[in-house]
Amino acid sequence: MLKLDRTHLARFQSLIALTVLLVGMSLLSDSFLTLENGLNILRQISVNLCLSIGMTLIILTAGIDLSVGAILALSGAVAAGLLKNGLRLELLGMELQFTVLGSIAAGLLVGAGAGFFNGVTITRFKLPPFVATLGMFSIARGLTMLWTGGFPVTGLGQSFGAIGTGVFLGIPVPVWITASLVGIFVLLTRRTRFGRHIYAVGGNERAALLTGLRVDRIKVAVYTLGGMLAGVAGLIVTARLDSAQPNAGLGYELDSIAAVVIGGTSLSGGRGSVMGTVIGCLIIGVLNNGLFLLNVSPFWQQVVKGFVILAAVAIDRMSAQER
Amino acid sequence: MKSSRQRWVIRGTIAAACVVAVWFWPLFQIVPLEQAEQESLAAEAESFDPAAFVEKFWNEQLIPAESRAVDAQKLIAAIQEDHAKARKTRGRSVGLSSTYYYFISGTGRVTRVERNTVALVIRQGADDAEVLLESGPIFGNAVRDATGLLDVNDYANSQDFNRISSEINRRIEAQVLPTLRKVAVVGGTVRFVGCVQITDETTDLSPLRVVPFIAEAQ
Repeated sequence: MLKLDRTHLARFQSLIALTVLLVGMSLLSDSFLTLENGLNILRQISVNLCLSIGMTLIILTAGIDLSVGAILALSGAVAAGLLKNGLRLELLGMELQFTVLGSIAAGLLVGAGAGFFNGVTITRFKLPPFVATLGMFSIARGLTMLWTGGFPVTGLGQSFGAIGTGVFLGIPVPVWITASLVGIFVLLTRRTRFGRHIYAVGGNERAALLTGLRVDRIKVAVYTLGGMLAGVAGLIVTARLDSAQPNAGLGYELDSIAAVVIGGTSLSGGRGSVMGTVIGCLIIGVLNNGLFLLNVSPFWQQVVKGFVILAAVAIDRMSAQER
Repeated sequence: MKSSRQRWVIRGTIAAACVVAVWFWPLFQIVPLEQAEQESLAAEAESFDPAAFVEKFWNEQLIPAESRAVDAQKLIAAIQEDHAKARKTRGRSVGLSSTYYYFISGTGRVTRVERNTVALVIRQGADDAEVLLESGPIFGNAVRDATGLLDVNDYANSQDFNRISSEINRRIEAQVLPTLRKVAVVGGTVRFVGCVQITDETTDLSPLRVVPFIAEAQ
């Protein structure tokens, strides 16, 4: 009975932490428990959640991706640049003027391409994910600077801006986008063969290989999806600011890894869930928002966030040892 | 297990659906370079011009709004009595931000002229009340946001809104501050209308630092 209780406690530890946080913040701040602030939190976490869903898949395969923030910036910059300035083909004497849909497609394609490159370098050249994605981090940052010349690309218009600032049925568009992605990826991980393969690769790669799974192909697909989701996040950030900032997404990779870990996904792979990551993102979002409302210095907010991450990993390790 | 034929049918259907979608919602259009350049020039001419906007805003909205400013003496007294209440009744915030603003006016005697500020005593007696008029480089969004005349939701993008603030500050530096520096003689009297930006609860409210958009000798 005690074991059962502990197992349940471990399973729902993130949810319990989130509930405690929600109750605590509601008691401490009058402005916290309002519809407006609730939507605010959901809007604020939408970018991190997009990144974190991809990061969850990657960490489930026992990988890591340090380039998602840089891919976010590159995807946003490419989409914004193509929408604002088009693509000049001097040799052919023509210019491709991109529609909003075209620029979105280009941004997603760039994100997916960068993720694919990560996957290929990790599987073909057997580079550790940490090193391969660190390389992509630098490549994507450099390409973003080259593409933008180091200046923000601004004035993207209302249609594109709706991705980041629009509201549908009273709920911000980024929240709709993220909720749809959560639905898709929960189904993908729980109900499809591909989802089961991701867990199998992360749980025991050698066993997965011996059972005939095409491990490399699964890993490439997972990194490609991670890159594409970083592209979605890039589009949301760019649309919300109505500008593509060359330095967008700095440090976002750490926030997304934190959300995944707090959500209960094991850094050694094979264990965790997209829903856990949603809770992890909510915990970080509620912490940031609540501490802001309580006028806590941003520097202290970082300290608190660091302790929460350490606590989450420590609890994960302890429960893993018990198992 | 799906047969190879079935797989190809699915792939073919998806490809056909993509082609149809792109036909109805094209991803881009091809334009000759000359035409693209002409369009670009036309778009540039139509784009938001912060200088023209601020010129109109300044004359038609900001200066006429002078009468809405809170009297500096009363505001300082209210802040000294209960700064939280003063913020609630006489201040203005944007969204949930901890930054808030006051739109104030007053007349005072110049007591000090420093490099980037002019100190005025606006109430004499045992409890002198002092304000500092900014006279150096102007930063922040005090004048744009304190008056409540401009709403970010009325602008297509936040960049345009930010450019308005920069342009207002630039105009104050170019047109208001030279006058202020000229009339700011210790012992002289200066009338001002301006705005105060207070970053958070830790900001020192004594003296208030005012960004003036009207400053003249009295």
